[in-house]
Amino acid sequence: MAHPSVDPLAADRGSNGDRRAERLLGALVAITVALVLAMIVFVLREGWPSFAHNGWSWFGGGGNVDRQTEAIFTSANFNRSWVYEFHAWPIIWGTLLVAGLAVAVSFVAALFVAVFVVEFAPDWMRFILEPVIRLLASIPSVIMGLLGVLLVVPFINDVLIDDEARRSVKYIVSLNGYSLLSGVFVLSLMVAPLMVAVFVDGLRSVPRNWLEGSLGLGINRWRTFWKIGVRTARPALVAGTVLATARALGEVVMLAMVCGGVGFAPNPKDGLIFFLEPTKPIAAAILQSAEELTSPPMRDTIFAMASILLLSSLALSLAGWAAKQPMKKYGVRA
Amino acid sequence: MTKKTTGLAAATVVALAAVPATTQAATIVGSGSSASTPYVEALYAAYKKVDKKNTFTFNANNGNAGAKDVQEGRSAFAIQTRPPQPSDSGLRYSKLFLDALTISVNPANKLDNLPVKSVKDIFTATQTEWSAFPESGLTSPIQPFGRVATAGLFTYFTSAVLEGAPTASSVTPVDKDGEVAVAVSKNPNAIGYVGLANSKPASGVKRLKLNGIEATPATIKNLKYPLSRYAWIVLPANSPNKAATKFADWVRSSYEAGVVLKKAGAVPAFNATKKSKKK
Repeated sequence: MAHPSVDPLAADRGSNGDRRAERLLGALVAITVALVLAMIVFVLREGWPSFAHNGWSWFGGGGNVDRQTEAIFTSANFNRSWVYEFHAWPIIWGTLLVAGLAVAVSFVAALFVAVFVVEFAPDWMRFILEPVIRLLASIPSVIMGLLGVLLVVPFINDVLIDDEARRSVKYIVSLNGYSLLSGVFVLSLMVAPLMVAVFVDGLRSVPRNWLEGSLGLGINRWRTFWKIGVRTARPALVAGTVLATARALGEVVMLAMVCGGVGFAPNPKDGLIFFLEPTKPIAAAILQSAEELTSPPMRDTIFAMASILLLSSLALSLAGWAAKQPMKKYGVRA
Repeated sequence: MTKKTTGLAAATVVALAAVPATTQAATIVGSGSSASTPYVEALYAAYKKVDKKNTFTFNANNGNAGAKDVQEGRSAFAIQTRPPQPSDSGLRYSKLFLDALTISVNPANKLDNLPVKSVKDIFTATQTEWSAFPESGLTSPIQPFGRVATAGLFTYFTSAVLEGAPTASSVTPVDKDGEVAVAVSKNPNAIGYVGLANSKPASGVKRLKLNGIEATPATIKNLKYPLSRYAWIVLPANSPNKAATKFADWVRSSYEAGVVLKKAGAVPAFNATKKSKKK
């Protein structure tokens, strides 16, 4: 033969190289897992004093969480005994509300948009829509925060809130546009594109012949897509929702800018005003107290808040995994 | 690795380690008051001509946090907007220049004077309606904006205006001085306390006279304006960074810094009024 044959030794060396690469990658994975575990242990350990001092009431309500934060922070200043009293309910509630409502709103919107993009949009529109959606998903959160402060907050204040509503709660909070609603609105704009991107990929991977089979039976396009396409893509819907919820839980800067920064638990009994009341999600609370890390009791409290966020992300991934299991049988992988 | 490459690598490491020792250029980190950021940035820009070697950076993480940074060695100096407190052990405070806290409202508000006592009433929710101030021309509820507890201005405002009383929960706290100005400029019913630099006419807010006295360089300098105050530079009491000390001296006493401060909206207190002759 004119050209040199494959050198068996070289091939052997290659497989050795493969094995080496395997071991290297294995080690990297092990390091990653170890890092994550170490992080969880570290955060929990640092936050433990705060939990230990408050017991279960840490998660409860009672008092003003902002005043408590201030008291904890300043207690280290004057060589007094450290204060730990902290009742996190308002910020936990704020987190649940902002993230939950934003994900719920975006889920509905994203599902319809994804179905439209995959099945009903003409090619030229799809050609424009998809890059735009991906671009939207990657807008930095501080830019969304600025848009929120300069456009959304003043709009809510000028258009949606009247003086009567302001008067009804004026001794407790100010209704000035910095609110749950502005947080949910801007956060939905941020997580919906992410959801759409994942949903679109999921819906696309539904086997065409399943859909064609249904169409062949004389079932109309909308119903076919809804009953076969969306159902089959359920694992992708769950995956997208989990990703979006994780992003919503971890969103910091924008929420700190538009939610009002008051550790107040919006009260559903207040009627529609509920949506206009200010709140402070955990991540924003951590950001605003990050400068107070120098005070040891405050540091413990901040880590306690961080561990709640960390554990809820963990729980979220597990819940997403568990939810996907029964759907796998007839579903597409996601 | 062969011996040659090992030797080369070792030489490179030694050389890299030696670089800072020979040129002695350093990054001087300052932190603190976000209300003073506009001044600090202007001063840095001008100081580049004086100290060509070192780079100065400023982290606007609010005055109280800045003082802590210096205590713990993270920053070489801090700019603080309140006088020293017992918590400031190990720190040396020096007056730098004069600044003022302004009480600002939206330009739609016709009010132009407030007694300091009324400001206290507003921020402790004793007074919640603009109708109590007929000159304002408004009949809506007052929407006060303030700062988060890490801000030196929060501490200063709490002691100078609220006389230690806690801020009402109806006051919306925001992170930075400029954000208060933005919030007030966007909301006709708002009132907020803003540093002098961020309440210039271009910022879209209107400064109020306090007890009938306007915040002008003259009234701030003779301390007639009720909320005139010094901006302080905070250095460690023991072995402060030389470049930072030099910078502080330049800001406090040089004619050039005085010009910069005036332009940025502050009031120089100790700066030379005439250009010194070059030696």
